[in-house]
Amino acid sequence: MSPGRGGEGALGRRLVGLAMVLPPVALVFFLVGFPIVVAIGYSLGHVGGLNSAVSAIAQHQVAVGGGIGTLEAYREVLTSHQFLTDLVATLWVTALSTALVVLLAWGIGLYLRLSESRAAKALSALSVVPLFIPVVIASYALLAFWSGGGFVRSAAAHLGMARFPILGYTLPGVVIGQVWVNLPFGVLMISSGLQRVPTALIDAARDVGASLARTTLSVLVPMNLVPTVIVVTFTAIAVLGSFTVPYLIGPTAPTLLGPQATVTFQSFNEPQQAEVVAMVLFLLAVGVGSAYVRATMRGERVPELAS
Amino acid sequence: MTTAGSAAARAARRPALRAGPLAHRLAARALTGLVVLLLVFFVLGPLVWLTLWAFAGPWTYPSLTPQSWTLNWWRLVFSTPGLERSIELSLLFAPVVTAASALICLPAAYAFGRLSFPGRRLLLVSLFATNAFPKIGLYITMAGLFFSLHLMSTFLGVVLVQLIGTVVFMTWIPAAAFASVPRSLEEAARDVGAGRLRTFWQVTVPLALPGILVAVILSFLASFDEAQGTFLVGTPTYVTMPIQMYSLVLNYPQQVAAVFSILLSVPSVLLMLLVRRHVMGGHLAEGFQLR
Repeated sequence: MSPGRGGEGALGRRLVGLAMVLPPVALVFFLVGFPIVVAIGYSLGHVGGLNSAVSAIAQHQVAVGGGIGTLEAYREVLTSHQFLTDLVATLWVTALSTALVVLLAWGIGLYLRLSESRAAKALSALSVVPLFIPVVIASYALLAFWSGGGFVRSAAAHLGMARFPILGYTLPGVVIGQVWVNLPFGVLMISSGLQRVPTALIDAARDVGASLARTTLSVLVPMNLVPTVIVVTFTAIAVLGSFTVPYLIGPTAPTLLGPQATVTFQSFNEPQQAEVVAMVLFLLAVGVGSAYVRATMRGERVPELAS
Repeated sequence: MTTAGSAAARAARRPALRAGPLAHRLAARALTGLVVLLLVFFVLGPLVWLTLWAFAGPWTYPSLTPQSWTLNWWRLVFSTPGLERSIELSLLFAPVVTAASALICLPAAYAFGRLSFPGRRLLLVSLFATNAFPKIGLYITMAGLFFSLHLMSTFLGVVLVQLIGTVVFMTWIPAAAFASVPRSLEEAARDVGAGRLRTFWQVTVPLALPGILVAVILSFLASFDEAQGTFLVGTPTYVTMPIQMYSLVLNYPQQVAAVFSILLSVPSVLLMLLVRRHVMGGHLAEGFQLR
């Protein structure tokens, strides 16, 4: 683990750098990149080679002998009623959960930036608690808390609201779970970004008479755009690809596409259709992820110019 | 709400949140208290509720406490041999995976943070592929790959599948930590005669240590919590705690799952308390800003 042998010229140094990053890159290539390529082939009907083990036990699959392949599996999945209702559910749950996480994180982050009170510290400590709890447990605890016999309904019944909605096994329940699980990352990113905004800048805006809302919109939001984009993309991608939260808290149908892909594979034994669902999720995630890459790349140029 | 009260009072002294008329301040104080209470309810409520269940006898809606209390569920959990084995397995896999991840990723993190080489940004971003593709899609084709390589139901297979979830943490966060070590300090050490290696171990590593520690703990927890991939690759030979949890949720009374939840949370909570200060201090946030 030598820290690079810098003295031997630029070329040697570059090669050392490349050699050092090779292990994780190779690991990701072998365990992620390569399986994705194989999966694309399988979803297009290539059932031989590395796909032969899976396709030997698969039911209801489309196979081609050669060529580019066929979109038959895609046609079948993408036109099915169940897929479409699940897709709609996935999209709105993702959008709503992400929006709520960003709003909550901004609220807590702002309060933390503008006040050093104990209440602010308590809020920030509270909001990272979910990071401590394994997702399986969090989902189970949330289900017990919001379900038919859970605390929320019991408390509501004591307050005379016997018809308080049951949120266990519903999509709004899934949104609650996603917000709970993803809140710490949002708060950490946004509050750490806000801490970096110079106090002089905020005070200057306030001194010329800008209201708190105006200061937030014209100073803090633009200065903290990159962390916000990071929170949006990572939360959206985490919700899109999530399994445990919707599987434990959500309804059987419509459900999110993550558990749907899993059930298609494990219960229906249709790995090809499951891969098609995974591809759709992947495309959605790549779309969201490109916003993140663009935002961080743009953020990069500023310090480079400055130095 | 004395907390919120003194909070509002102190906030009023700060230039950013200026003192308004008394009515405004009281309203702000009440609002703050309400928000804190709501967040306590939202975040801690479910955890407290589940903890109560672990000691509950019969408990029916809409009672806010169980009809009776008991420790029987704890005895039941500790006397079930399968459960104990899964605790052992989880406590075995997580350190092995974390150590392997550190070995593979930390040198790379140093290179990403400190050296310049062609394709640095692209390679750094490419690691993100582990987050973008839905895991189940990966596991299906990985199963084919693992079948051909005889990795199904093997120790190595489970380690590999759990490694995936640690790569981003173990590379991005330490890379940012290494990048933020001031070069002037290293140069100062070199100036007073410290060798390259000595400078690395006595200046660079200690300064980057909090970031590395955060990455280690998050990787440990990612491995410790991993259920889906371990289920596909490891069962029936390797049934870890999170996998047990799924079957407990489906097959046992709620109290047993509650007891098991507490057991499963103990390592997480202890480890996170260790690094809480550093996580809050921005090391996690730094890592995701790709510089």
